[in-house]
Amino acid sequence: MKKFLNGPWVLLLPTLIILTCVVLLPLLISLWTSFTPFKLTKPDTLYRFVGFRNYERLIGDIDFWIAFGRTVLFLAIALNLELVFGLGIALLINKITYGQRTLRTLMMFPMMFSPILVGFQWKYIFNDNIGLLNNFLREFGVIQPIPWLVDGVLANISIMAAEIWSSTSVFAILLLAGLLGIPKDPLEAARVDGCNSWQVFKNITLPFLMPFVFIAMTIRSLDVARAYDIVQMMTGGGPAKRTELLWTLISRTGYVDAKMGMANAMSYISIFLSIAFTFFFFYKLMQSRQQLSYE
Amino acid sequence: MLRLFLSLILAVSFFGSFSAKAETELWGDYSGVTLRVKLIGGGQYEGLYNEVIPWWEENTGGKIEIVTQKNHFELDKEIKKDIASGNLDFCVASNHTSFASQYGDIYTDLNSIMPASVLADYTPLILEHSTVNGRLVQMPRHSDVSNLYYQKSLYEDADNKANFKAEYGYDLTPPETWDQVKDQSIFFSNPPDFYGTQYVGKEEAIAGRFYELVIANGGALFDENYRPIFNSDAGVEALQWFIDLYNAKAVPEGVLNYLWDDTGLGFASGTIAMNLDWAGWAGFFNDPENSKVAGDIGLVRAPMGSGGLRTGWSGSHSFSMTESCPDKEAAASFLWALTSNKAQMIEARGGLSPTRPAIWDAIIAEKKAEGDEFMLMVFETFKMSLAEDAFTPPLIPEWIEFTNALYPELQAAILGDKSPEDALATASKKATEIMEDAGYF
Repeated sequence: MKKFLNGPWVLLLPTLIILTCVVLLPLLISLWTSFTPFKLTKPDTLYRFVGFRNYERLIGDIDFWIAFGRTVLFLAIALNLELVFGLGIALLINKITYGQRTLRTLMMFPMMFSPILVGFQWKYIFNDNIGLLNNFLREFGVIQPIPWLVDGVLANISIMAAEIWSSTSVFAILLLAGLLGIPKDPLEAARVDGCNSWQVFKNITLPFLMPFVFIAMTIRSLDVARAYDIVQMMTGGGPAKRTELLWTLISRTGYVDAKMGMANAMSYISIFLSIAFTFFFFYKLMQSRQQLSYE
Repeated sequence: MLRLFLSLILAVSFFGSFSAKAETELWGDYSGVTLRVKLIGGGQYEGLYNEVIPWWEENTGGKIEIVTQKNHFELDKEIKKDIASGNLDFCVASNHTSFASQYGDIYTDLNSIMPASVLADYTPLILEHSTVNGRLVQMPRHSDVSNLYYQKSLYEDADNKANFKAEYGYDLTPPETWDQVKDQSIFFSNPPDFYGTQYVGKEEAIAGRFYELVIANGGALFDENYRPIFNSDAGVEALQWFIDLYNAKAVPEGVLNYLWDDTGLGFASGTIAMNLDWAGWAGFFNDPENSKVAGDIGLVRAPMGSGGLRTGWSGSHSFSMTESCPDKEAAASFLWALTSNKAQMIEARGGLSPTRPAIWDAIIAEKKAEGDEFMLMVFETFKMSLAEDAFTPPLIPEWIEFTNALYPELQAAILGDKSPEDALATASKKATEIMEDAGYF
């Protein structure tokens, strides 16, 4: 006992207790509720075990799987576009010698808006009747209003535009930090050897930057659910479920329909999505680090 | 009960010219008592609190602590979370007849707390709608039903009259039926600058509008055992009405994302000919600072469906008292104050429909005396509509969940993703599952 009290476990104990209370217990409770018909308005249902009934229903629920697939597609497209735009912005700002600090501050402005506010402002921009975009297009002869938030493809693109506007700067900042950390010697040596800009970028800058890319991807793939507020404000997952993502579906099932047991079952299935994305990006991160150390 | 005393006085003492029958007052000495309350927020609702809370505090010595003030859908979510966590540490909350049955037995039965003389001041039918499983869990604040606002000048225009008669074969007058609304909407529409009408297009809002049209067409949502029966001729006809207007571009294309603010502001913008809306918008529509149609507004009772009935989806905003409230006498006094003659007169002056018969008489008399023809028309129309046309949605805990299953299917049919029959069949299947899970059959 004395050995235990003097050992490293004692030092770890506060952390373990906090992690258990803040992370493990809520996870276990929500896992339990996914095996119950728990309704928020009927607390007694928390103690009624129904086995895998919620999961069985979800497996046969086509609406859930369509939302699941749309969420994967949304994540894949939005994150990659954010990466491309973020990389472009970071490279441009890295080239600037005057006013870089001001531009870095300006670049962070979209991050300062709450997602709810971002949703409101983009809903207004894309409004078919009084929206800025349609009125702007009208000046160029597009008389018939474009139903940005109604058409299935356009509505998803509109939401993505809002999400990309809001979060590209996260990529840009992380990648800019990476760019600032690249040693100058290999870059100068490559130029002396006659490499053009593309060759320098492809063979030196990008490999150095890849660990930062995957760190940014991992952070954003876990953080992207913040876009729930944007989707909720702009379309609420509609019309006719055309923009339904897992986040809007789970939120409506859990808090409006009050079916928290079912919502948690949906969440646990979607956790696999997060784990898969995170695992993939960590795997790629390790690979790129190993490659850098070989070189 | 010592602190509680009842006194009968003439309500006229509150409002000068207001001559109504005597009201039972519920004052008491609640010095040292603080009531925690959760209230519906928004411009339309908060004026009442600014006047009634200081009035109650001054007369009782008690204090009101507003814990939450947010829109009703957010408040609903918060209260559901409170129920789940067992954290009902407030005394009074805003409620609604469409929502109340979800909350189980967290709210006190006011039959055993409110004196009969107090309850006698409210419209009996509204008290009935405020009752869940035989327990009166709400004190009604104001009632809602929708009627049809329209731009008068469109109907007075000689060219419009002649052209409409030539095209449709009958005179252009404010519509009496929903088929006429459709004809006239298509006639008036000139998209994208002007539309004949509009409708709320998502969530409970469109489900409620569909519901009232099904009833007006002679159908029903459920049979007596709560089996869904809206996949019927009346249901398809109701859904087809929404589809026809959308396809004819007689409503804005983004209408399926519209909620109440969008339709209200749309009509006020002057780009909509007819608008089915609640009484609370009347003052806004006729205010030149907010509305381009001020001074040009007509109002008729909601039109009839093919079943010969008028649409009349109705409900009442209300206040409830939690079972866990430690100061029920004080809370009862505050509930009374929030729904008293004084309180209802404040809201009636803003255009809201009172739940006390005495206030209807008082506000109509006041508007007559002021010569305010517009508001007089509003109150007389809504009074008749509430008396003769209004009906509530099924007062069951599953109402909101049911509407969440129904509305995406309505939207799918309106957008042409599904036929009305397919959409209603899918919605009916989902509704059956919900009612089965809830144990109705």
